[in-house]
Formats: sequence, C-alpha cells, structure tokens
Amino acid sequence: MKRPAEVRELRGQIRHWRRGRAELSLAEAIGDAYIAVFAAVMLGSMGISVILNLRNASGALCTSQACTTARDVMPWLFAGVEVAVCLGVARLFGPMLVSPAIGTWLLSAPVDRSSLLLPRLAGTGTAAFVVGGALAAVVGTLAGFSAGTIAAFAISTAAVCLCTVTLTTVVQARGGPAAKIATWLVAGLVWAAVVALVLQVLPAPAPQQRFSPAWLAALVVAGVLAVGSAVRAFADLPRIHRDRLTPGGSLVPSLSGALATLDLALIYDILVSRRWLARSTVRPYRGGPKGAAALVWRDLVRLRRSPQTVVVPAAAIVVPYLGARLGIGEGLVLLIGLTGFLAGLGLCSALRVLSRTPGLMRCLPLERWEVRAATLAVPAVVLVAWGLATAPAVHEAIGGTTWGTAFWVAAALGVAALTAVTRWMTAAPPDYLKPLVSSPMGAVPTSLFGSLARGFDVLLLLCAPLLLASPANGAFISLVLSGVVLTYLLNRP
Amino acid sequence: MPSKPPLLRVRGLRRRFGDVDVVANFDLDVRAGKAVALTGRNGSGKSTVLRCITGADRPTAGTVELDGVKVDERSPKIRRDLAVVMDDMDFFPDLSVVEHLDLFAQAHRVEDVERVVDAVLQEVGLVPQSAQLPGTLSSGQRRRLALASAFVRPRRLLVLDEPEQRLDRAGLDWLAERLSAEKAAGLGVLLASHDQTLVEAVVDNVVNLG
Repeated sequence: MKRPAEVRELRGQIRHWRRGRAELSLAEAIGDAYIAVFAAVMLGSMGISVILNLRNASGALCTSQACTTARDVMPWLFAGVEVAVCLGVARLFGPMLVSPAIGTWLLSAPVDRSSLLLPRLAGTGTAAFVVGGALAAVVGTLAGFSAGTIAAFAISTAAVCLCTVTLTTVVQARGGPAAKIATWLVAGLVWAAVVALVLQVLPAPAPQQRFSPAWLAALVVAGVLAVGSAVRAFADLPRIHRDRLTPGGSLVPSLSGALATLDLALIYDILVSRRWLARSTVRPYRGGPKGAAALVWRDLVRLRRSPQTVVVPAAAIVVPYLGARLGIGEGLVLLIGLTGFLAGLGLCSALRVLSRTPGLMRCLPLERWEVRAATLAVPAVVLVAWGLATAPAVHEAIGGTTWGTAFWVAAALGVAALTAVTRWMTAAPPDYLKPLVSSPMGAVPTSLFGSLARGFDVLLLLCAPLLLASPANGAFISLVLSGVVLTYLLNRP
Repeated sequence: MPSKPPLLRVRGLRRRFGDVDVVANFDLDVRAGKAVALTGRNGSGKSTVLRCITGADRPTAGTVELDGVKVDERSPKIRRDLAVVMDDMDFFPDLSVVEHLDLFAQAHRVEDVERVVDAVLQEVGLVPQSAQLPGTLSSGQRRRLALASAFVRPRRLLVLDEPEQRLDRAGLDWLAERLSAEKAAGLGVLLASHDQTLVEAVVDNVVNLG
C-alpha cells in the first residue's frame, strides 16, 4: 500500500498546475508592478507628511487641560480599541480558515493539518503585527511621542495584536467562550476609560514622550507573550476541527462579492445571517397584537433576544460627550449624527429583510409604508431617545444654546440618524440590467459608486441646516427635511 | 342564468424580454373551487406568467383581474386575497419557524392564532423544528415553511410556483391532499408544476405552455 501524500507534495502539485497556466514570468510581473510601487511610495510619503503636520497642529492647538489629558490618554485607548477590533475580526473569520476547495479536498485527506494551516497562521499573524504596529505608530506620532517611544509603542502594540490572533487560534482549537468574553471585556475596559475621561476622573498618565526603561520592559513582556502564544497556537493547529475552519472560508468569498459590488448592506446581511446561523435555535415568543402592531411586537422580541442592539447605542452615547469634552464645537453635530447612524444600524434588521425580500413583503396584508413604518417604530423610539440623551453635550459644545434649543437640536439629530439608517436599509442593490458606464474597473452600473455614500448623503443633508443656520432654526429645518425624506423612503418601491 | 365570473381573469398577457416574447396573448380563467396548472418545458414561461399575475413582474401588455378588480400588488386587499409561494421567498434570520407563522397570522388578524398555527405546523411536519431559525432548516423544510405561511392566513386564490420542489414523497401526498381540501373549501388554486402525479391528483384544467 502506498504511503499517503504529504502536504508539501500536494502543495507542490498545485503550484505546478498554477505555473502551467501562468501567462507572465516573474520579471514581467515585477516590470508591470512599477506603477503600484511608485504609487505606494508617493502616497505613503504624502500620508506621513499629513501625519507630521497634524502632529504639529494638534500640539499647537491642544492647550486646555481636558485636551492635553485626552491627548495623553488617546494612544492607550486606541491600543485597547485595536485589540478589541483584532479580537472581533479574528473571531469573525476563525482566525484560521480554509477555502471551500481546500476544505473539500485537503481536509478530508490524511494529511498533517498543522502543515496545511501554518502558512495561514503565519500570514494572519504577520498581518496583525504589521497593521497593528503601523496604526499604533500613527497614533503615537499624533500624541507627540519621541521617535524611540513611537517605535517601542508600535512594536509592543503590534506584539499584543499578534498575541491576540494566536491566542484566538488556541481558543478556536480548544473551543469555549474565552475569545468572546475577552472581546467584550476589552471593549468594556476601553468604554470605561472613555467614560472616566469624559467625567474627568481619569488620572492623567505620566508623560510618555521620552523612551524609558518601562518601555523596554513593556517591549520584552509583549515580545515574550507573542512568541509564547505563537508557539502554543502552532502546537494546537492539528486540533482544530474542520467545522471551525470552513465557515470562515465560506465567509471570505461572500464578503468579497459584496465588496466587489460596493454593497455595504449586503455585507450587513451576510454578517447578520451568519450570526443567527451560529445560534440555530431560540426560545419562541408567541402571542402579541394583530395587524401592523405584530411587526412592532416582533421588534421588541428581537431586542430581548439580542440585547446588544440596544447596548451598542447606549454605550455609544459616550462618544458625543467625549467630543464635547475635547471642544470640537459645531463638529459635534456631525459626530452625533454619524454615531447615531452607525450605532442604530443593528436595530433595523426587520426593515432590511423586508426591503430586500419582496416575497416576504407580499405575505403581509398591509401597505408598503405601513410595513416600513411598523418596522421603524422601535428603532425610532431608541434613536430619538438616544438623540435626546446627547442634549447636555450639545448644550456644552455649541455656544449660545439654551437648554430648550439643545433638546431640539438633539432630537433633530436623533431623527436624522433614523432617516439615514432608513435610507441605508431600504436602498436597492446596484442594478446590472441598467445601462453600464465604462470605468478602470470595467463596465459598472451608474448606481454602484453612489451606493458607498448611501445613508451618509442623507445624514449630511439633514445636518447641514444645523451647521449653517442658527441652532433653533436649523433644528426646525432639519426636522422638516427628515419628515420629507422619511415619507419618500417609506413609500418608495 | 349568467355563469359566475371567474375569480382570476387574465387577458392578452404579454411579457417581452429584449426581442423575445416569453409570453404572448395569454388568456386564463381560474374559478373559485377549481385548480388550474401551468405545465411545459423549462423556459416556456410558467414562472413568468405567475410573476406577472402576482405583481412580482410587470407585464408588457394585458390585464390581470382578481374578482373583477385589477391586480395591484401594492393593495392590501389584493395581498389579503392572494396567497403566493414562489422561489423568491426568504425569511427573517432571527425569527423561529413558529414565530414566522405567528407573525403572518397576526398580521392578517387571524382569530385564535396559536390553534391555527399549531395545526398547520402539525400538518407540514415542522413541530420538532418550531424553535429553529430558518437558516438551519434543510431545503425541503424551508419549502414546507413557505407553504405553511400560505395556509395560516386567509386567502381566496393560492398561487404556487412548482410547489413540489424539494418535497419528499410523503410531502407530495400531503400537498395533493391539502390542495384538494383548498378547492373543496371554495378557494381557487393556480400552480406551475412538472409533477404529473400532483397535477392529476389536484387539477381541473391544465394549460400547456409548450
């Protein structure tokens, strides 16, 4: 009996097939890549120049006690956000994953799984290290760190990001909720730090601008942790079950397809669907009112079933207060609108499903606007209440506003966020049956590029009166405009 | 004595895609208590006819009337009378099987929702799956859920596009029995089908589209 093939042999065979189909030699490909290299160098140097200018400008403008404290704390908050995002993305994709083809052909073969997954572990770890380090370097520069401190901060943050990926791999192999708990814990700590910053109870950290032995110690600890967790992850690679490797591999082409059409709402659909697929069963809630109110009642059931859809806007309320504390003035209007819009997306899953599925809409004996209005009732209450809760921040940040006007502005911003969410959720995907226009990406439908601005366009329209007119008049005009836009969106086909 | 007008009346229906007439000069009557089947090879226009009748697609020409009223799928009355199960049916990812059926029945203001829904769940054999989310159902179970959604609500005309798809033998037997009961209750049934056994068991009039 012949011995089973090794991963190296199978990979060599696949490489041989691929090279047989190559149309360019390596030299020709490098020759063609000069534009990409040139563009990367040029854009990179422009980016670095912008960052250095921003560093100088923020150093000159940030003079108040609140601003300097925030500037000192910001790198640490950012590092926390980076780790939370790293954990979230790693959990979303696995982090170890295999393509459907490899899942079918190689995972079922008697080959060593760690050899198969090692390149993926190395690639994912390198990506986390490089991206995490680069972003930390940017933030360290903006915070006014010295060159040595920037390097130490960037490398230690990068090592922690690497550690995050490798430890999530260990959890993927062994199972259990550790990665999920860690994500919420880190996010909760970052949120608590922001709250403390807003309430001015956060002690100002010792100045970190100069490189010190503490930085060296941090570097050593982060490095040891990263290497140790990477070794542990490599040892655990053969233990990862196939059913934990293939979902991430299926998710990648789905998200790639959605990104290729610049359809962000489709990405939302994919992620929501994946989340509920993982849950598989729920405790059914029966009963409730009749008619359109049945849809409202189901949204209330959703809130109970998925409390994070309310927890996220509730936690995000701290963002406008942080903006007010940093003294961003009129910019707070855009910050509140944008935060409400992004935090409110999770509330409108019913509206999204009914908008994209005509078959489901046909099952309901109601006018289209009635169905949409019913699915907006709960999000409207949450977002208007959310907007009203930002009134003290508006009162503090925008000069000359009475409390009454501040509440009007805050309510208008809550309604603006709701309208932007409705625009985002009810928009049709790009229609490839319509005339196409020529572009460097090939022929694309005219609505393709506009789909990226969807939601943000309405938000800008509704925030503009608040920026251009007096707060009281601006709030009134914004509310009237919101009413017009919402009426159109509720009735559109 | 003049005969009762048909429940569904289609006259001169035409649907053109580019230079091709998929359906042209198509007439159809479906009377209350009767079942009509559209048959024919793939691409003969069965689903296109159903889509035009239910308002999922807009015909190039022709009229579609339900009980003497022009069919406009935006009208709540039409949606109340027309129960449609086509291939574009999808579900809420976060509501369980029984919650979907409850929602449809409650939206239609059905009396005694739980009794009606439980009976239909029993009929379609989805009681063990009642707490499951639709994404975890097999394709056959999703088809049963789609069919169940049409049976938990009031209706006058049932429009089904290849309802036999993905159903096993027992499911097909149940469907034939159920559609016969619908006819006996005075409802109209219009279906497109490739299943000769189902057509023979249920249908009064077969329209072959080629």
